[in-house]
Amino acid sequence: MNPYLKLSVAVLLPALSSVILYYLDRKTIFGRINGTIKQLIYGIVFGALAIIGTEWGIPMNGAQVNCRDAAVLTAGLLFGAPAGIIAGIIGGVERWIAVAWGIGTYTRVACSVSTVIAGFYAAGLRKFMFEDKKPGIWISLEIGIVMEVFHLTMIFVTNMSTVNQAIEVVKSCTAPMIVGNGLSVMISVIVLTLACRESLKMQKRNQARITQTIQRWMLLAVTLAFVLTSGFVYRLQTKASVTQADNLLELALEGTAADINASSDTNLLRITNSIGRELDDNNYGVIAEKYQVAEISLVDENGIIIRSSVPEYLGFDMHQGAQSEEFLCLLDDKTEYVQRYGPIARDSNIKRKYAGVRYGQGFLQVGYDAEQFQRDIDDEVIGFTKYSHVGQSGYTMIVDAKLQPVSLPEGLNLEDLNELGPEIENAGQNNTVVTKINGENVYCRYCTVEGYYLISVLPEAEVWRTRDIAIYINVFMEILIFAVLFAMIYMLIKRVVVNKIDQVNSSLDRITNGHLDEVVNVRSNREFASLSDDINQTVDTLKRYIDEASARIDAELELARNIQLSVLPNIFPAFPKRKDFDIFGCTYPAKEVGGDFFDLYMTGDDTLHFLIADVSGKGIPAAMFMMRAKTELKGLTETGMNLDEVFTQGNRKFCEGNDVEMFVTAWQGSVNLESGLMYYVNAGHNPPLVFREGRFDFLRSKRGFILAGMDGMTYKVQEMQLKPGDIVFLYTDGIPEAADVNGGFYGNDRLIEVINSREYESMEELCGFLKADVDSFVGEAPQFDDITMLAFRYLGSSSAPSMTVNEAKIEDIENVTAFVEDELSKIGCPMKAVVQISVAIDEIFSNIVKYGYQGKPGPVTVSVEAMEDPKRAVVRFVDEGIPYNPLLNEDPDISLNAEERTIGGLGIYVVKKTMDDVRYMYENDHNILTIEKKYN
Amino acid sequence: MEIIKTKEGSNLKVAVEGRLDTVTAPQLEKELRDNLDGIKELDFDFEKLQYISSAGLRVLLSAQKIMNKQGVMKVFHVNSDVLEVFDVTGFVDILTIV
Repeated sequence: MNPYLKLSVAVLLPALSSVILYYLDRKTIFGRINGTIKQLIYGIVFGALAIIGTEWGIPMNGAQVNCRDAAVLTAGLLFGAPAGIIAGIIGGVERWIAVAWGIGTYTRVACSVSTVIAGFYAAGLRKFMFEDKKPGIWISLEIGIVMEVFHLTMIFVTNMSTVNQAIEVVKSCTAPMIVGNGLSVMISVIVLTLACRESLKMQKRNQARITQTIQRWMLLAVTLAFVLTSGFVYRLQTKASVTQADNLLELALEGTAADINASSDTNLLRITNSIGRELDDNNYGVIAEKYQVAEISLVDENGIIIRSSVPEYLGFDMHQGAQSEEFLCLLDDKTEYVQRYGPIARDSNIKRKYAGVRYGQGFLQVGYDAEQFQRDIDDEVIGFTKYSHVGQSGYTMIVDAKLQPVSLPEGLNLEDLNELGPEIENAGQNNTVVTKINGENVYCRYCTVEGYYLISVLPEAEVWRTRDIAIYINVFMEILIFAVLFAMIYMLIKRVVVNKIDQVNSSLDRITNGHLDEVVNVRSNREFASLSDDINQTVDTLKRYIDEASARIDAELELARNIQLSVLPNIFPAFPKRKDFDIFGCTYPAKEVGGDFFDLYMTGDDTLHFLIADVSGKGIPAAMFMMRAKTELKGLTETGMNLDEVFTQGNRKFCEGNDVEMFVTAWQGSVNLESGLMYYVNAGHNPPLVFREGRFDFLRSKRGFILAGMDGMTYKVQEMQLKPGDIVFLYTDGIPEAADVNGGFYGNDRLIEVINSREYESMEELCGFLKADVDSFVGEAPQFDDITMLAFRYLGSSSAPSMTVNEAKIEDIENVTAFVEDELSKIGCPMKAVVQISVAIDEIFSNIVKYGYQGKPGPVTVSVEAMEDPKRAVVRFVDEGIPYNPLLNEDPDISLNAEERTIGGLGIYVVKKTMDDVRYMYENDHNILTIEKKYN
Repeated sequence: MEIIKTKEGSNLKVAVEGRLDTVTAPQLEKELRDNLDGIKELDFDFEKLQYISSAGLRVLLSAQKIMNKQGVMKVFHVNSDVLEVFDVTGFVDILTIV
């Protein structure tokens, strides 16, 4: 299997496992397992993945390129701190013992320790930095990279003694390890994010968080410093490495050259001495032939060649050339002298090496050609280079003038040098050149010595090794330091600033939501203490202002309430002199002012109007609308128009300019107190409760539309005959809709049950009893709606003393008059009034008998009543005769003389003239004639 | 009601006591009808008359009409209540109230 394919699978395994575990947790019974056990399972699964990473690693230079760390990081970052730690320990321990079956020993400590630390690292990050949530995509890549940098640094740390090997290992696996692990963690995060159906896009925040801002600037600063130091170190180390390489190469050349020279010199002197011993005056040529030397010359004490194997040289003065002059030292103190191989004095085209020894008064000089002396020392020279080293892995080689190798290090072939030759020759002697030998980059330089080319070689890898170690360590350290700083800044800012700001903010939130008693108390440092104090002070001031404002509003509402209540009838009994009815009303606004109202007033002496209404809404606006509605309805009623017309016109007026879109429900009744006939009209109001025949019941009647709701509505008047004792109870929806603490409503059922539970002495008692029951139902719950009640009991005109004559005849007048006079005397009516009333009775009663019944006697009821303000006697005649209104008769002409006058109409005329008021009505088949006489 | 008649020749004096109303007026009317023949002067004494109703007025009016033909009719001692009725009904102009 392709090792990279294997590595790729290992890279993808954590992501695959993450998704599977995620779905298991979400969709299966696995999700219900206890959290601790789950963490254990996650730890074991990812521990196993770490082991797979180890076993499927690609061996490189004695190290395993693998993604063991990625599995551990994924566990810790995505599945929980304990899972990460467990996976780390499993992976680390396995890596330790895996040596037993052939996993690399060299990085054993580094790998095991790193894997365990990866678990704690991920756990710590998840717990302290990500608040137990999964990290972002890019940050997860960074976490993977930092982890691997740590891992690689550990390789250095654990292999200090073999740092050269360590750097080779690190160099070869840095890229694959970082990329592999970083990507693996990142892919896991991406895949799990997709699985959670979250957006991959980073949520763009308009404002960066404090930690992010600081981290960004820190990243910039650290990166800058990092690039600068790294660049500086790189340049410095490069220069130093090159200089060092130069030095190494030069030293190697110098050493070897010295050896060769020394060896050559010794050899030549030995030969020269031997030649000296065999020489006689004439055998120079023979000897030169025998020793195969180029020249043998004898120089006398004056420096002149006096004998030579080469006849042309005879007589040559050694003082003539620089090369030859050097040998003159032998005439002074030296006994031996060997010259370097080079051009000779007489002919610069000839290169020779000379050795001289003192000989008699002068000295003997022997010249050698290169081949001659090299042949003698080749064997020795091979020994010089065979085991010599330049640095650790460099070497020296010797090549003769024809570029034939003389001495090569082991493993190097001649062919390899073919390209090298011209290249280094072009560079010139003692100049370092970079070239390739055996495909390996090398630094090399050469020099010539004794006719040899001497070449020293240092592999480039070795040249850069120190620099590379420095750079790697430098970069790794910078990354680790930044990672630590990054985390530290994050935690520190979070601890010192962000947490405190959050604390302040949560307090501010509570304050904004109305909890003005909240105190901000962050005292970790001076700035926050001052901020807390400022906020608290501001809130205190605010609170004071609010209190003042609310006190002012309270006072104004109180005033408004008083005004509102003052316009409602509030003096009871409202008509203390009236005995024919009892009425009581009361209102309990939910807020200080409400929209409910009631009204009661009389027009004339016999018509009582009473009204209850509920304006939509509560508070000041409702109250203002209510004032208007009340005034308007009363005004219209008092014009004497019919009730339906009152409501129809009222509605039209309310609709005009009703911009606030309020409306009113209202119920008004108008009772003729004499007859008990009640007209009423309902504009969308709750049906009243009517007490008839011993029981309260809802008065189910046609409801009209609400007032002020829609222009042009018309209302229908309805009527009902009240009998003495009947009660009409009006209320607003505040009663049935009163809610208790549990939100239950009072309701109509309870209302009707409670109101029927007893009898009532007075209407005030009825209202009080109901209010008490509503209160006990509501309990502690706040009152939501206004509660208004109006109770009316019709007692009937029968309350006035009366006398009924069943079959009225003229003769009954005396009895009736006697009855009335008796009643009038009881109430202290003066005689004069009594007389006038008596006359009126006579006239009216006789009228009823004569015209009303027309000879068919029927019942006549006469009642007497004393009224106050002004004091007056009211006498009422009720009969069932034909409808006849005597008031419609024409008044008699009283200016006529006796002859012209008729007597008709005179009686009623007298009554009209002597009484203060005479009224007639016909209701329910009854003629009702009422007379009133004021008195003092 | 009580009616006290005192006849002196052609002069008839009628004192009415109590109430002259619908019930009693026919009684006075009958007395007058029976006694007015030949009377030149008819005097009513209302000193003790409590009140008078329109029925009484009618009797007085018909008596006045008769007396207009055969002599004079005077009304004496009218109390304020009765006078008020006369006043209201214009009878003060018809009757001769002394």
